[in-house]
Parts: sequence; C-alpha cells; structure tokens
Amino acid sequence: MAAFKDELDPISGRKVLVENNLTFAQVTDAVAAPIEAPSARWWAFFLVSVSMLGVLVVSLGWLFWEGVGIWGLNNPVAWGWAIVNFVFWVGIGHAGTLISAVLFLFRQKWRTSINRASEAMTIFAVICALLFPTVHAGRPWVLYWTLPLPNQMGMWPNFRSPLLWDVFAVSTYFTVSLLFWYVGLIPDLATMRDRAKSTVRRVAYGAFALGWRGSTRHWLHYEKAYLILAGIATPLVLSVHTIVSFDFAVSQLPGWHTTIFPPYFVAGAIFSGFGMVLTLLVPLRKWFRLEALITIKHLENMAKIILVTGMMVGYAYGMEFFIAWYSGNPYEQYAFANRAFGDYWWAYWTMVSCNVISPQLFWFKAVRRSPLALFIISIFVNIGMWFERFVITVTSLHHDFLPSSWDYYSPTIWDVSTLIGSFGLFFTLFCLFVRFLPVIALAEVKSVMPIADPHYGDHGDGHHHE
Amino acid sequence: MGSHGAIEPSKDQIWLKEGSLWRKLPLIGGVLGLAGLAGAFSQMGADKQHFWYSYLTALAVFLCFALGGLFFTIIQHVTRAGWSIVVRRLAENAMITLPVLCVLALPVVFMGSHELYEWTHAEVVANDPMLSAKKGYLDEGFWTIRMIAYFVIWSFLAIRFYSLSTSQDDAAPDAAISKAHSMRWLSAPAVLLFALSMTFFAFDAMMSLDPHWFSTMFGVYYFVGIAVSAHAFLALVSALLRRSGYLNGVVTAEHDHDLGKMMFGFTVFYSYIAFSQYFLIWYANIPEETRWFAYRIEGDFLYLTALLAIGRFPLPFFYLLPRAIKRSSGALILMASWILIMEVIDMFWVVQPVLAHHHAKESGAAMAIHVGAVDFLCLLGVGGIFLAAFGWALGRKAMIPVKDPRIAESLAHENF
Repeated sequence: MAAFKDELDPISGRKVLVENNLTFAQVTDAVAAPIEAPSARWWAFFLVSVSMLGVLVVSLGWLFWEGVGIWGLNNPVAWGWAIVNFVFWVGIGHAGTLISAVLFLFRQKWRTSINRASEAMTIFAVICALLFPTVHAGRPWVLYWTLPLPNQMGMWPNFRSPLLWDVFAVSTYFTVSLLFWYVGLIPDLATMRDRAKSTVRRVAYGAFALGWRGSTRHWLHYEKAYLILAGIATPLVLSVHTIVSFDFAVSQLPGWHTTIFPPYFVAGAIFSGFGMVLTLLVPLRKWFRLEALITIKHLENMAKIILVTGMMVGYAYGMEFFIAWYSGNPYEQYAFANRAFGDYWWAYWTMVSCNVISPQLFWFKAVRRSPLALFIISIFVNIGMWFERFVITVTSLHHDFLPSSWDYYSPTIWDVSTLIGSFGLFFTLFCLFVRFLPVIALAEVKSVMPIADPHYGDHGDGHHHE
Repeated sequence: MGSHGAIEPSKDQIWLKEGSLWRKLPLIGGVLGLAGLAGAFSQMGADKQHFWYSYLTALAVFLCFALGGLFFTIIQHVTRAGWSIVVRRLAENAMITLPVLCVLALPVVFMGSHELYEWTHAEVVANDPMLSAKKGYLDEGFWTIRMIAYFVIWSFLAIRFYSLSTSQDDAAPDAAISKAHSMRWLSAPAVLLFALSMTFFAFDAMMSLDPHWFSTMFGVYYFVGIAVSAHAFLALVSALLRRSGYLNGVVTAEHDHDLGKMMFGFTVFYSYIAFSQYFLIWYANIPEETRWFAYRIEGDFLYLTALLAIGRFPLPFFYLLPRAIKRSSGALILMASWILIMEVIDMFWVVQPVLAHHHAKESGAAMAIHVGAVDFLCLLGVGGIFLAAFGWALGRKAMIPVKDPRIAESLAHENF
C-alpha cells in the first residue's frame, strides 16, 4: 500500500480541498485582504495594464478616422487579425462557464476555489471578443443594424448568415455568464458589506448585495437559482463556439468546410480557456497567498483538463488531415498540404507544437504539480490557440479558388497594437476585479471545507474528540 | 469515507442464485445465438449481399453495446469517479463480450468484404477516378490488418481491465490496492487507444460502405451512440436485476438518477453531433457530401430518418427531463429500452441504405426498405452470443467490485 501512497491523488477517500485546517474566519480574511489593502504590486500591474489599454484607444481612434485600410487586410484575405482575435478571445471566454456550470452539474467540488476568477475572466474575454467584429464591421455606430429591429428602410439582417447567429449567440452567452457571475457574488458582496469600514464601501457593496442577510430562505432561493442558471448555461458552453465554428464551416472553402468543426472548436475553446485560467491563477495564488485554497491539486486537475482537451484538438487536426487525404479531393488535399508546408508552415507548426506537443508534458505528475511548469505551458497554450485561429483563417483564404488573386497576408503595426491593446483592456478589467471583488467564492468554498462537514471531529467511533 | 460506517451488501444481493433465470442466460443466449446464426447463414444463399449487410448491422449494434461497457469502465477510472462503482461490474461484464464479438466479426473481414465494400473490386476502382485516388487507404490488405488491429486492441483492453477488476475481488487488501492502482494507471492510455480504434473502425467498417462519401465527424457519431447506449444498458440491466431481487440497497434511486442524467446529457450530445454533421453538409450543399443524406431521405428511408430525428432527440429529451423520471427505475427501463432500440435503428440507417441505393440505381425504382427474416436472424444470432457471454460473466463473479477502495463511497452515494 505504501508504494501507491499519493497525498494528492488518494486511492480511497478524497483529498481535502482547503488545506492547513483553516477556519472560516481565516478564509474570509485571506480573501478579503487584497481588497482591503491593495499592494504596491497591484498598482504596478494596474498601471501597465492601463497603459496597454491606452494603446487600444489610440489604435481604435486611428482606425475610426482612417478605416480598416490601416490593417493588413487584402484581397483575398479579407478576414485578418480582427477575426483571429475575436475567435481567440471568445475561446478564452469558455472556461469560466464550463467551470461554473458544467463542473457544478458534475459535482466537481474543487471548482469552488477557481470559479469566481474564471467567470470574471470569461466576462472580460467576451468583452474583448465583441470589440473585434464591432470595429471590423467598419461603421460601429450603426452596429444596431445587426439586430432585427423594424425600421422604415425595410432593412433586415440576413438570417441565413452564421455571422448574425454569432450576434445572438455571443450576446446571450455574455448576458447569462454575467448573471451567473453576479448571482454567485451576492453572498460574498454581503460579506464585503459587513466588513466595510467606510460608508462608501458599505453602500456600494450593500446596493449590489440586494439586502442579503444569509437567512435559510435566502439560501434556499439562491441554491435553486444557481442550479437553474447552471442548467441554462451548460448548453451555452457548447453553442457559442459551435456558432463561431459555423462562421467557417458552412462555407465551401477547403480547410473551413469540415463537419468536425463544432466539437473541435468547443474543445479548443475549453483548452484555451483553461490555459488562460492557469496563466492568471498561478501568479495570483502566490501573490495573494491563497495556496491553501487554490491548492496544487486544483492546478493538477486543470492540467489534466488541458491534456484531455489538447488531445481532442489534436484528434481534430488529425481527422482533418486524414479526411482531406482520404477524400481524394485535390482541393482538400492542397488546402492541408499548404497549411503544413506552404507559406505559413511556421504558423502551422507553432500551433501543433504549442497545442498538441507541449501539453503532452502533463502526462508526468511532476510537471502537472509544478506551478512554474504549468505557468510556462499555459503561455504556450495561449500562443498556440491564437495561432490555430490564424492558421484556419489565413491559410485557407490566402490561396483561394483563383490563383491569380493569391496573396501573402502580413499584419501592419496597427494589427499588432490592437491585439496588444485588447490585452490591455482584459488585464485592466481583471485588475479592477481583483481590487474590488473577492477572487474566491467565499460562500461556496466554505461549504466544501473540512470543518463544514457535520461529522468534523467525529472519528467514526461515536465519541467526540477535542 | 470511514465516518459513515459502510453497510456491507449481503451475498445474496450481489451473487446470482443457483437456478435463477439469470444463471440460465448463457444457455438461453447461446441457444438463441447459435440458432439465429445458423438460420442467418442458411439464408445467405438467397441473397448474399443482403445477408452481409444485415450481419454487419447486427455486429455494429452489439459492438456498440460492448464498447459502451469498455468506455464506461475506463472513463470511471480516469475521472476517479466514486458514484458509479456499484454499476461498474455490469459494464465490465458487457465489455468482456468484446473478444467474442471480435471473433464474430472475423467473417466480415475474411468472407463478406467483397459483398459489402465496392472498393474491394479492382475493376470498379479502375473505372472510378475518386476510388482510384483512395487506393492508398482503401486497400484490402491494409484494411484487413487495420480491422484485426482494432479487434486486438479491444480484446486486450477488455481482458486486461476485466481480469484486474475480477481478481481484485479475492485479493488481499494490499493486492486490491495495487490492482486499483493498475486500472487507474492504464485507463488514461486506454482512452487514447479506444478513441482512435473506435474512430477508424467506424471509418473502415461503416463509412467506407459508401466510399465516395466522407465526414470528419463520423467517428464521433459512432462514439456518441456508444456513450448513450452504455448508460442506457446499465440503467436497464441494473433495474431488471433489482426486479429479480438483486442489488437492492446497492444500486439505488441515487444511481438511477445519475445514469438518467448521463442518458439525458448524451442524448443532447447525440443531437448536437448528428445535427451539426447534417447541417454543415446541407448548408454547403456540395454534391459529393450531400448524396449520403440524399438517399437516406428518399423513398421509405425518409420515414426512418424522421423516426431517428424524433426518437433520438425530442422524445428522450422531454421524457428524461423531470427529476422524478430519472429516479424511478421503472420509468428508466422504458427509456433505456427505447434508446437501445434506437441504436439498432440508427445502425440500420447507417449501413443498409447503401445496399438499397445500389438496388434502386440498378432497377430505377424508388428507395425501399427490405427487412427480411435474415435481418432478425442476424440480430438474434449476434445478440444471443452477446447475451450468453454477458450472462456467463454475470454469474461468474459478484455483481459489484466488492474490494474497490471506493466502494463505500459509491454505496453511500447521494445526489443533493
């Protein structure tokens, strides 16, 4: 038995989810500390993020003045980085709802330590994502034309276009994710209200806490609402990236039109989302001293999800290649040969190395349990998933059906600055989140702590110790 | 674990009684199976092609149920699941039918391939530029090697997991832990092996029936049938066993609830996969892809397609939605049986239209469904052997893995 002893992965029983025998009060103090007394490190990160956000403002200002011609778009590559960035950010926005809804339905209690920050990340990522089609459409001030609003011009959006379905899918997803996040926050906002030392804080947290007093009746409503929202949000985890994949897959373009796209995009989205969760939480747990709450076991579980979804993505890459060859269709075959060995071979192999090869290191327990290794690989995952969208979008377009129009696409400085700026927006919002809201769902974590067990301290022999 | 003081299930709840009907399953299944197979093979002279299409349909169905057992078993280990351990042995018993079913699949490889697959005919391939382009993969020798490889992989995994789990029952505590550890260790690579072998089996045995058609989703389509059937099979068998006085207090409404949720979830996943595959092909409207669906909505097959569209999604979806249904084993028996029947119809729908399409093209008549005695005999034959092997395994060992380190967690499992 001793040979198989593994503290983190016991063969019988379950590892505790909150370590160091913390009490409820200690957990509250640990989570509230960064909100009540921001560190110098927070200011440093916030200022860097806001500077990057400034880059976005300048880029968009110039874009609105001059038009999308400032980007590297050409004919035939009419979808460049804007679409790549859109799909990239939407993908990242998948982990939050997966953690909060799907893992909730699967009774994965370890989710309680990571769901709050992941849901926040989801919302901010979707905000970044929505930015790109908005500005790519050329005239953002008439964006409401994408909605089917009755008007005297008799103009309607094209209901047969998946781009319109995107408008519905992404906005629904955003709304439900935001509601889900907010409902989960209510008990914790009340905690922050009760701890507040200034009137401003008390009123601000109090207004959003909706008069929460933690009575049994409140909890009864809360639990019901949470379960129903989880049920509603679960199909949304699949639907959003499915619709995004339809943007490509309904076309007749080799490399875009393939039936595995919907589940492949969903797997890729979860993969990239968990990558970003690790990128954010590995440093956060250290700087905010939350190691007893976000334990190595939590990180290992996320590593396993990354390994699984990374291999699903690898499976899809393999299927695309195999079927292109199997089909005997020379256009299909060319599209994939061109991806791997054409002008953009470097992008393709960056994608494969980051998304399929680098997660294979997670077969090793030591790698899964090393925060540093997890952080490094999570960066590779982020890079790889950005390149995946680049490969799909650009390689299929740059060699289209008419060889005389073939062209090489390269981004301009404004493409790069807009992408960097979107990271500025993302990190600014995330900095504000960690500054003002509890990064861990206090009420939920407390319910899975050892001392929340009614049998705590009861050693099974009927006697009470201590 | 520990603090609740797990209740040890009594022996008569988890072992089949001497002389019970369940004990006779190997005999009943064996007789039905052999009679069915003998009858089916005797029909071969009447219409050779029809026989092989029917035989392949039956094989696809029962391989699906057996692979369902394998899938369920390895996924519980890899996810460290606790709730499911009381039904895992039933899945293992379904899984151990794999070596037997693989033997039954050998005639398809060595006798039936020329009747089933047009790409095995050199003159057809020579006159068809698309088939000539696929010669590298659709090559009889290579195909045979691949099929044998899938059978070897499945038999190996099934025997390995079955023997580790069943030998754990009589093992000393230390050895039981070490076997639990071995199963856990093997489960992750087993998921990989399962995914790849199942996908390429679906391509080789079913997609290549219509060698011009291709879909990257096809492997996932076969998989989702396996996943939904696995949970339906476990819900059905565990409920029937309880009706015969076994597993009471062992498999409870809590486990039914979870099995029902999984049936519900995979029903939705099935619809998602099936719809996406159909929708993307319909929308792009490329003739070489649409043809596969086109002849499935022609003539009689339209009704079958409509039946699948309703019977695999809205019906089970709304039926399984209420909590009370999922917690009633009687209500689950009905839906589990329905899901398994739908899988039979689904495999018929995947395999048989190809033959009907050939006939319709030759005669110029409309697509017609020809269901003959041979179809039922093949299902009876392969199904009988499946039941016999399952019954043999059921009687051989306890019906739950008694020494699993987490069995107490599973016995005490509660939804909240």
